[in-house]
Amino acid sequence: MIVVQNLIDAISLGAVYALAALGIGLIFSIMRLINFAHGELIMVGGFVIYSLAGQPMLVMAIAAFIVVTILALGMERIAFRPLRRASPPTLLIASFAVSYFLQHVVLILFGSRPMGVDFLSSLGESVEFAGLRVPLLQLIAIVATVVLMVGLAFFFRASRIGVQMRAAAEDFTMARLLGVKADRVIAVAFALSGILASFVSLYLVAQTGSVSYKMGVNMVLIAFVASVIGGMGSLTGAALGGFLVGLVSVSLQAYLPEELRPYRDAFVFLLFIAFLLWRPQGLLVRQASERV
Amino acid sequence: MLAIERLQVSYGSITALRGVDIAVGKGEIVAVIGPNGAGKSTLLLTLAGVVKAKGGAVRFDGRPILGDAPEKLAASGLALVPEGRHIFSSMSVAENIALGATTRNDRAAIAADTERVLAMFPVLRDRYRQRAGNLSGGEQQMLAIGRALLARPKLLLLDEPSLGLAPLVVKQVYDAIYALRQQGLTVLVVEQSVNRALNAADRAYVMSGGAIAMVGRSAELMGNPDFDAAYFGAAKAPGSGQVAGQMAGQAAGQGTRP
Repeated sequence: MIVVQNLIDAISLGAVYALAALGIGLIFSIMRLINFAHGELIMVGGFVIYSLAGQPMLVMAIAAFIVVTILALGMERIAFRPLRRASPPTLLIASFAVSYFLQHVVLILFGSRPMGVDFLSSLGESVEFAGLRVPLLQLIAIVATVVLMVGLAFFFRASRIGVQMRAAAEDFTMARLLGVKADRVIAVAFALSGILASFVSLYLVAQTGSVSYKMGVNMVLIAFVASVIGGMGSLTGAALGGFLVGLVSVSLQAYLPEELRPYRDAFVFLLFIAFLLWRPQGLLVRQASERV
Repeated sequence: MLAIERLQVSYGSITALRGVDIAVGKGEIVAVIGPNGAGKSTLLLTLAGVVKAKGGAVRFDGRPILGDAPEKLAASGLALVPEGRHIFSSMSVAENIALGATTRNDRAAIAADTERVLAMFPVLRDRYRQRAGNLSGGEQQMLAIGRALLARPKLLLLDEPSLGLAPLVVKQVYDAIYALRQQGLTVLVVEQSVNRALNAADRAYVMSGGAIAMVGRSAELMGNPDFDAAYFGAAKAPGSGQVAGQMAGQAAGQGTRP
């Protein structure tokens, strides 16, 4: 029974990691930008919820979606569009700049101490079935992730802009030669990453009951690790990587000796290094296409 | 249809095109031939908006287009089939073809054009739902051309369409191009393979070292004694003429590119 219980924990944590990793992977696949400011999208979502404390739940959630999506579009327009032709290292550094900028804006506005938020705390209660106690929040995280992933998969297969985005991810110049509008596919990618980030915000705030200007940092690091494990550029890989990191984290939490548990993340990253030595290109990699 | 004047392109300190003049009339098939590194691909990539020009002017349908983004040029009726085909290998043949119609919204006409392309290249119909990456080189070339045609271009730019293809496939590709000319398509084709290009084109420009060395009707160029020298750039570098002449003689005798 304890194994099944752990598995549910692993899947729900993995689901959230997968959402964060998809946000990173989506932007990377189209722009070759590893957007470390993705963590600050998650963080700002948290502060939107904090600022609307006392409002109906739905209002908080929708406000977080809207603000985070606009912020994602804004960072593309202001910070990344002028650097469109820049090299991946330049883009990476720019994303650090955006990340620190947003952290410190929030630091100035709200201070450095974590602040408590009462958001969906009722979901901390567990439902019991078949002898298992599963927190509602975990169930909702799993269901929401599955719905989002199916929605994304459908969007990329069936919608015109989705197909154009896959083409742009594989060979951006060729896609443009066929008339795919560069500005539009990149903007849609950032909007989607904003939507994904806001879901992670909702989960984190509900889970921890607090917000802080650093709350996105750890999540984005794990999301990055997950997308590397899956294979940079592969969205299926990013999702898979997220679930794997969730599984490893929960397993370590459950089976490490008690006194080592506080250092769980050190073991996660140690395993990550070992993984990279074994398979540096990630689990699911497509052959990098030659650019025109 | 297309007027290129004094076009200059450089990559850093390396000059790739040094003042190229080319004119293409409506309904013409014009070839640009020249050895590897002559600047042919650069020329097409510049016309399509991928490479930035340093100087000169290009008018397409009477409108200056130099500096326009690739997607804007695609929407204005210019289609490039780049060297190496650049099909989307992880996507299906159907999706590749559909992407050709990115700039269009007339569903019924797109469906009719898709049908026409599949009739032109029946092998694409057989493999319609398969991954494009699993196609053979020749099939990929057909897909790349079919995809470009779905944009209903006014001007088709082809970069080395025969490179690495079996002669039968090359013939099929050029037959398709001839058929499309009847419908008013204009083609600018770049080739290393002299015989194929001169057989296919109405007129040809010989390019060497980033400049036009010679121009004429294909039939005239084929018999012109100065052609080999122009192709190998000997006209620009006296002294190397003898070696180049020998190589060209061999090449012409074997009917292959050197």
